[in-house]
Amino acid sequence: MSDTATAQHEDSHASLVVDNKKLLMWLFLGSDCMFFGTLISTHLIYRKLYPESFEPTALFSLELTSFSTFILLMSSFLMALAVSAMHKGELKSFRRNVIGVIFFGLIFLACQVYEFAHFVHEDLTLSTNTFGSTFYLMTGTHGVHVAIGIFWLICMYFYSHTGKMDAHESAVDVEVAGLYWHFVDIVWIVIFTAVYLLEYVDF
Amino acid sequence: MSHTDTETSVPPSTHTSEMEVLKPERSQLGLLRPDHNKSVIIDWLTTVDHKKIGIMYGAIALFFLIIGGVEALIIRTQLAIPENDLISAQRYNQLFTMHGTTMIFLAVMPLNSAFFNYLIPLQIGARDVAFPRINALSLWTFVAGALVINFGWLLQALEMMGLFATSGPTAGMTDMVPSVGWFGYAPLTSTDFSGVGTDFWIMGLQILGVASLSSSMNFIVTIINMRAPGMKMMRMPVFTWMSLVVAFLIIFAFPAITIALAQLMFDRTFGTNFFNVAGGGQPILWQHLFWIFGHPEVYILVLPAMGIISEVLPAFSKKPLFGYAIVVFSGAVIGFLGFAVWSHHMFTTGLGKIATAAFSLLTMAIAVPTGVKIFNWVGTLWGGRIKFTAPMIFSLGFVWMFMMGGFSGIMHAAAPADAQQQDSYFVIAHFHYVIMGGIFLALVSGIYYWVPKMFGKMWKGNLSTWVAILVVVGLNITFFPMHFLGLLGMPRRTHTYLEGFGWESYNMVCTIGSYILAFGILLLLVDLVRCIRSGEPAGDDPWDARTLEWATTSPPRVYNFAKTPVIPARDALWAHKYGPENQKITEEDDHGHGIHMPSNSWMPLIASIGFVPLGLGVSLMQAGIPFMGYFAIFGLFLIALGTALWALEGPGGYHLFPGKNIA
Amino acid sequence: MSEANYDPLPVSPEPQHDAETDKYHTFVNLALGLAAITGIELVLVYLPFNQIFILSTLLALSLFKFIAVIAWFMHLIYDKLLLTLAFGTGMAIATGTFVALGFIMSRSNVDMEAITAF
Repeated sequence: MSDTATAQHEDSHASLVVDNKKLLMWLFLGSDCMFFGTLISTHLIYRKLYPESFEPTALFSLELTSFSTFILLMSSFLMALAVSAMHKGELKSFRRNVIGVIFFGLIFLACQVYEFAHFVHEDLTLSTNTFGSTFYLMTGTHGVHVAIGIFWLICMYFYSHTGKMDAHESAVDVEVAGLYWHFVDIVWIVIFTAVYLLEYVDF
Repeated sequence: MSHTDTETSVPPSTHTSEMEVLKPERSQLGLLRPDHNKSVIIDWLTTVDHKKIGIMYGAIALFFLIIGGVEALIIRTQLAIPENDLISAQRYNQLFTMHGTTMIFLAVMPLNSAFFNYLIPLQIGARDVAFPRINALSLWTFVAGALVINFGWLLQALEMMGLFATSGPTAGMTDMVPSVGWFGYAPLTSTDFSGVGTDFWIMGLQILGVASLSSSMNFIVTIINMRAPGMKMMRMPVFTWMSLVVAFLIIFAFPAITIALAQLMFDRTFGTNFFNVAGGGQPILWQHLFWIFGHPEVYILVLPAMGIISEVLPAFSKKPLFGYAIVVFSGAVIGFLGFAVWSHHMFTTGLGKIATAAFSLLTMAIAVPTGVKIFNWVGTLWGGRIKFTAPMIFSLGFVWMFMMGGFSGIMHAAAPADAQQQDSYFVIAHFHYVIMGGIFLALVSGIYYWVPKMFGKMWKGNLSTWVAILVVVGLNITFFPMHFLGLLGMPRRTHTYLEGFGWESYNMVCTIGSYILAFGILLLLVDLVRCIRSGEPAGDDPWDARTLEWATTSPPRVYNFAKTPVIPARDALWAHKYGPENQKITEEDDHGHGIHMPSNSWMPLIASIGFVPLGLGVSLMQAGIPFMGYFAIFGLFLIALGTALWALEGPGGYHLFPGKNIA
Repeated sequence: MSEANYDPLPVSPEPQHDAETDKYHTFVNLALGLAAITGIELVLVYLPFNQIFILSTLLALSLFKFIAVIAWFMHLIYDKLLLTLAFGTGMAIATGTFVALGFIMSRSNVDMEAITAF
């Protein structure tokens, strides 16, 4: 019996407004919005208070970060395709796309790790005034979210080989994973603009 | 009532030979599910039944109510006379910190949860919540958080006996129980000024946050998706509506404190500069983030109480709630506006003219929907046939006492007046009137109202009258003089005071009041135990009530409703009993499908237990105890293991056929 | 019913108008659009335009990317209005709170003497 069984197996009258798991994930993402909102705002507030305390443009490599942003956006695209494939019951296409998402996600994480290592080498650490603290906590939390997503998708990939994934019942599970992944992507969109790009604009 | 022939009050059949014995099945992991267990302990540890979970929340909450009450009595005893030396200043700080934290997070919130858990599925005509195992996770995670946050008492006892001292990051600090106030202002919470108690506080609150968040998301999905057919949103009981608003408040407010606590933890553990002044940190940011959570939090505390009142008053006025739609809408407006007023806790921090004026006005605005509700409650009573039952007495008490708390609140809203009142006993008077006079009286009203349904036993005798008198008189004697104490200049959070300020007699009166109040609460517990142990059978609907939960047996069967009810109107049960023919509750045919029940599970318990080593490990690391980092990682591993097994075991479930394999 | 004794003429298969294929095309276009916008953003910061103009454009572009991913990749535009309202309320509360906080916290309240890190 699959995970969605409990809901659909219920008395058929229960015409769900929105599928249980999907609604749960949207609520979780709404909450997660507030998490990242707090983290990003803390960063922006401290940047507003002390613009002269740190010069990140000397350290940032906008090319690398744009590349990783592009990678994450493309992974979101592949995730949308994976969800679509599952809806159509095309397990092979689903697996191909999920591998793609995992692969791109790993590239993103690798870029992050490289970037962090470079910054630490240049003496930007967690305790380097407020910039280090807010930057690492914010992007670190995002990175942990990506890692959890990758782990989830790896589990899903292996589960798809057990034969227990059924197009109709598992489609919701895949969609829910997709929602999580896209959310992680849009948080990065905000971070890329507010934390990286904004430093290059003189205002 | 003829709505079902399997829903009789006849005790379960003793002819078990006629009935199929239910056997547990194997999960997808190949392990035996803990269903239909003969061991009562295992049954309750692995239960996913919202009713049992609700009762456990309630019992644990009442336990912590007593603990928090004892903490308060020690505080009041210390303050009874000037320059008292019953306890040291540090111990005093720890007591008011733990009193606040315990009462808010370990007593009131779980008591609210007890009612949410027990009532929501029954009130909407559902069998259980949307995610029963997540429900169990919330309960056990709450227990884990309560353990972590109180663990410091053990260490403190060892320290007092000379058997333990901290080393490492908090070397030299002797406060092992949180002592920084329930709001933990920076920079007092830095490692420079506070010890491992703060770490327990941080980790404990984070764990409690997980419990609250998961529980809220579960209830939102339940209320939106699992209503019985015909149970439109505007036909739901007001208690369920308020629970929905509260659940949204929790998911939007808790993240602010979660991040603030994480930032504080990083400051203490990894040397970041979020609130560290030398590194550029701004302690005022902590205050902002805390109150961005903290103000919605007080509405999280009070809205369920208002929901309870909105059920009890109509039931005992024999009238529908006056202005149902407006009451619901006001609740939502209070919730929404609750996010916009946080800095009224910070009027004396130098916000600037514009911010101060804005928050002052918004705070006054929030009094409007609150007042609307009070008028609607009065309107409900007006022209009704009032029955002065125990629940009704406490609900009437709420209306009056909460109003008094609201008046002092409005006084705070005026920033110039607040400049005098801030950090004085006036504030303590205000929030204790709304919490004790308001929330507590409403919760007691709920206890008196719904315990007969939960345990099937009716209250014995008139002890409730004594409870009401002692609690109301006690709380007024305790907290009314505090208004004057505050205006006479007595500051909060000071472990003693000198003679000559004119505070002595007021303090003595407050202390006497607190003992009267405590005695009243003790009588409540006595009454509760007497009822549960030896009350007369209550019957399905002892109060001739209005809402759907009273249409079940007392206590309800494990499956709540044998057949899903179809709801024709608001106040569905009242319409069924006294309304026209077309407003009778009917039933859906289940086509012999039987009742699908969720399976018990060990996994939520395993995952929750992991929070204890995680919380304790991180905190004790700060106390300098070796290998605690590994202990914390072990905790993470347990959580991951529990979660993985949870996903892999599958939801399970079994079918009940009343009369065939269950009574 | 009379027996039909003829082979029906071959008919070309129905064009795939199912929702999933339409969505596929939308996704591809959106992905290309997102990549293009990111490229524009990268180039824009280096161009010698008016800074306020660049700032506004960056904010507008990232806002578009944000809404586009939510609406299409996350299916919100195909789902029930309830979800959009729930998400929108959360976003409104979060944005309002943090914009207000940004205005309240100002340099004039900072004691620069106490800071040793810079």
